Amino acid sequence: MAEQPRIGVDEWVAQAEERRARTVAARLGDLLDRVPPALRLLAIALPLALYPVFVDSEYLMQVGIDTLIFVLLALGLNVAVGWVGLLDLGFVAFFGLGAYLYTALASEYAGRHWDAQFAIPLIAVVVGVTGFVLGLTSKRLLGDYLAIVTLFFLQIYLVILINSSFTRGPNGISSVLPLEFFGKQVTSLDGYFYVSLVVFVVVVAVLYLINQSRTGRAWRALREDELAAELMTMPVDRLKLMAFAFGAGVAGVAGAIFAPIQGAVFPANFDIVLLITVYAMVVLGGAGSLLGVTVGAVLINASLEALRSPEDASWLFYGVLVVTLLVMLRPWWRGPAVIAATIAFGVVAHEAAGQVRASLVGGTSFGEARIDHLVDTWVLLPENVVTPDGLPTGALGRLAYIGFIAAVLGLTLVRSSLWRTVGLVPVLYLAACVWENLLVAQPAVARFVLIGAMLVALMAFRPQGLFGKQRVEIV
Amino acid sequence: MRRGLIAAAVAVFASAAVVTAAVARPTQPAAAEQVAECTNVSLGDVGPLTGPAAFLGNEQLSWLKFAVSKYNKENGTKFKVAQGDTQLKAPVARTVARKFVADKSIMAIIGPSESQAVIAGAGLFEKAALAAVSESATRVDLTNGQFKTFFRIIPHDGIQVPTVVRFVAEKLKAKHVVVIDSQDDYSKAIAGPMTRGFRARGIDVDRESVAATDTDFSSIVANVANDVSVVVFATQVASGANTLSQQLREQGKKAVVFGTDGAYSPAEYKPKLGYVSAFAPDLHFDPKARAIIREYNAFSKNRTFGTFGPPAYMAGWVAMTAITKACADGKATRAEVTKFVRQTNIPSIIGDNIRFTAKGDVRGATFAVFKVTNGKYSVAS
Amino acid sequence: MDWDKLVQLLVNGLTLGSVYALVALGFSMVYGILKLLNLAHGDVLMVGAFIGWGILGWLGGAQDPSVAVWLLIGLMVLGAMVGCGFLGVAIERFAYRPLRRAPRIAPLISALGVSFFLQNSVLLLFGANFRSYETFDLVDVEVGIHWGPLNVWAIRIMVVVAAVAMMLGLWLLVTRTRLGKAMRATAFDREAAAMMGIDVDRVIVKTFFIGSALAGAAGVLVGLVFGQINHFMGFNYGLKGFTAAVVGGIGSIPGAMFGGLFIGLAEALSVGYIEDFTRGRLGSAFKDLVVFLILVLFMLLRPQGIFGRPEVKKV
Repeated sequence: MAEQPRIGVDEWVAQAEERRARTVAARLGDLLDRVPPALRLLAIALPLALYPVFVDSEYLMQVGIDTLIFVLLALGLNVAVGWVGLLDLGFVAFFGLGAYLYTALASEYAGRHWDAQFAIPLIAVVVGVTGFVLGLTSKRLLGDYLAIVTLFFLQIYLVILINSSFTRGPNGISSVLPLEFFGKQVTSLDGYFYVSLVVFVVVVAVLYLINQSRTGRAWRALREDELAAELMTMPVDRLKLMAFAFGAGVAGVAGAIFAPIQGAVFPANFDIVLLITVYAMVVLGGAGSLLGVTVGAVLINASLEALRSPEDASWLFYGVLVVTLLVMLRPWWRGPAVIAATIAFGVVAHEAAGQVRASLVGGTSFGEARIDHLVDTWVLLPENVVTPDGLPTGALGRLAYIGFIAAVLGLTLVRSSLWRTVGLVPVLYLAACVWENLLVAQPAVARFVLIGAMLVALMAFRPQGLFGKQRVEIV
Repeated sequence: MRRGLIAAAVAVFASAAVVTAAVARPTQPAAAEQVAECTNVSLGDVGPLTGPAAFLGNEQLSWLKFAVSKYNKENGTKFKVAQGDTQLKAPVARTVARKFVADKSIMAIIGPSESQAVIAGAGLFEKAALAAVSESATRVDLTNGQFKTFFRIIPHDGIQVPTVVRFVAEKLKAKHVVVIDSQDDYSKAIAGPMTRGFRARGIDVDRESVAATDTDFSSIVANVANDVSVVVFATQVASGANTLSQQLREQGKKAVVFGTDGAYSPAEYKPKLGYVSAFAPDLHFDPKARAIIREYNAFSKNRTFGTFGPPAYMAGWVAMTAITKACADGKATRAEVTKFVRQTNIPSIIGDNIRFTAKGDVRGATFAVFKVTNGKYSVAS
Repeated sequence: MDWDKLVQLLVNGLTLGSVYALVALGFSMVYGILKLLNLAHGDVLMVGAFIGWGILGWLGGAQDPSVAVWLLIGLMVLGAMVGCGFLGVAIERFAYRPLRRAPRIAPLISALGVSFFLQNSVLLLFGANFRSYETFDLVDVEVGIHWGPLNVWAIRIMVVVAAVAMMLGLWLLVTRTRLGKAMRATAFDREAAAMMGIDVDRVIVKTFFIGSALAGAAGVLVGLVFGQINHFMGFNYGLKGFTAAVVGGIGSIPGAMFGGLFIGLAEALSVGYIEDFTRGRLGSAFKDLVVFLILVLFMLLRPQGIFGRPEVKKV
């Protein structure tokens, strides 16, 4: 059904692309693409620039700054992972290196205070070179081995940080001096927000330009088929090294503004949990898409903050559940139907269980938001499932959790779309039960569980994330 | 699902968020003078609930919840606990600190648990006149006057280190010791001064280091020379101290383990012969404490605990007592609460009455050394 | 020359090495067949350790076991092997199989997600406290060999013996049975094996089962010999196990065994001698650095490992 065979494109791929291009949403996407990139960047940067004007709370300002730092990290990781397809598991080490280098250049401990306009570019270069050197180990290695070497590098970096006397070990260095641009110090939260925003704009612009250039095209070719790229006389090794260097440089810059914002550096900040969080941002947003990883970073950081306390956590959980259902189920009426059916099922089950044994519905949930109180009327809440700390007291809680996972996995095996929709109802009900009884009691842990599950689900069902381009692999 | 749809949706939400924020301007953050909260008060718990020190933060949270529930029952109040997970990371602690400062219902902070979180957050608490009562931050410089609203329930390293050094040198008459740290800020802050203290007394010191997550010490044990009589282990993982002592026996070494206060746990540190320091009389065997332990076991369904929980209980009690006093006239400010915390004088389950010095340390705090024989604890000094 | 210390370090290294070898075997097998690095393998070990702990508690605990000690240990190991085998199969089915045709990076990211999910699920369900196997109550520390400088606890002997037995069993399976032949064929050339009538999917499932079962057993052994388990112990064992697999030659069974022992001994000896070697500048904390350097050296100079064959890619 292709109108014209396109030169250089496999016929099947061309057909797939055209089928996709005809949908409404894709047309919207095309419209977006037609907007000049500078305008697109402005459209994002302007509302962000207004953020400090509208937000007074210091907490929200801090969250905003944290988010921008995360965005920078996601952008840096995107270079190696999204554009070239290299798995860099030591990425946060560059972040840490940038932070400690800034400390070496501007802290009471080091006894000097370089101006930021010199310090930051210097740090970008130094960390970039470090990335280059680490990338040298990838020359002989397949992508998988590279992952482990980079992971080990991160571990070694942490060991050195923690055990060397000149880095003051786990106590960290807490006399980091603020950023100073041309003699003027940045001391307020608003100021740091604007600095981060400016850095973000600059980094995005630079990355965009690189991506549009010959290097960017070469990277994409490398990602799709390394062997073919090599045969086309592309300097594969040099390209990989450059990708590493750029990603590292961006991370270094992020570290260089992170250190003065915090006023201190500690080794514990740069660990595996941070690494996986950044990966989740890149994957959710769409590896390879600048807009995607930015959005991914914002979404995930906002979610992590919202999932701190039982009050806010439930809104996010149920909200995401409902939105996913509405968006993923076709036709449009299936989503609301499933939700209604789940609630009905729940009410019935609640009544029945209450009749059978009162203790099955007599407990209380940790969730304190209004939506929790609503949900609690139709969810099973056995008494004493968890201790006051939120730990399951015995087999019931643990088995319920495992059973829930098994049910979800089993559901993915059902082939018929109708039965899958029907099966969604009890599974959703079980999800609400597990959430109210177990997860909301330990929100700090629950959010990491959800991130891990999200990563797996994304890779299985939608590896391109929200904004990435779906990659077709010709076997 | 579809790229364009999603982009449009995100754009709509983003604009809506900005518009909402613009229209509904939040009020000014709580300054020290205002915040009249007496009806919906929370205690902000700041500690590591995930990460390598999660066992510590979770034990503290458990005892804090117990304290709140008991106080509420006895006084008819309705205190609540807000959880702030620091993940053992200072930047996260700072964000949590800002969140709690901005939350008007929080009238006192319990914690931060770890010293680096105090450095990150206590300055923000001070600006908001918010009292922060820590149950486990032991770095000496935290109470040198830099944080005027910071208090701690437990004595700091400057007291523990000389006590341990004196005991090992004089009572155990050691001539050659090994000092092991666990690569975190708690243990390094102890191991360094301890090593210096030993060397000043002419005692030979070998230094070793394990990661907090290490569970195998056999190679370290192999390094222990035959004339070493004491291995001082600065750790917060009591079961690690136990494993260390067993592995010493396994390899036929004569050295005994001396665990710092983090190793105190009758449930997990049960060597055939060993020592441990603690900043309280033994809660598990003190007859006065038996009642409260029974209550705690009933509340927590027999959760095991060591040294970290009871101080959190006391910190919570101090805070709640102060808030109740400040609310005696129906309204209170954070500055008032802090004033009452400073004047605290209440009985304690972990020793004498709790009173604070001008700089925020607990008065009259001492460290006791316990001898453990076949898992049984007895006071050694 | 402190012979006592050296002998002790060798014993420690052997114990560690046996565990690493078991982990390396699982890595090697999966990589050989699927060319996939199972980054979640270490966490499967961790789950195995918790299953063993659960069985220990269920059968009365270390102080008062309701069955004979050796039977108890056997049941723990068996239970962990079965449980982890099924866990491995589930991971393969839901996290890796949908990604067989995806770019190489996809299953690795999925593995990261699985690892994170497993760790935090265990944290959620069991709490953050380190759990103890209390093996010292089970088998007293004095039980074992005490001969001259040699002080070997019975449990250590058991770990080494069990690991060797399992490796032997695996080797027999791979070289003497039809399943083993199918596994080797699939590892050599998946498409050709499918064309020859081998049910490739089933072979992969069985490979995952066996590899994960070995990891589960390793988890119980670790719990027994070192006493404590926690939810993030898997990470370290995964890393070291992978190093062992690469050093020995990934895809090769004798390679995994040898690599494991090599890395275990390297680690033990470095803890013992690194300070003397660097004249006090580096302490025992840097033992991981030594292992890392070994890995990098092999990667750069002999990427196929000791027993592996240099990989020749046919274009």
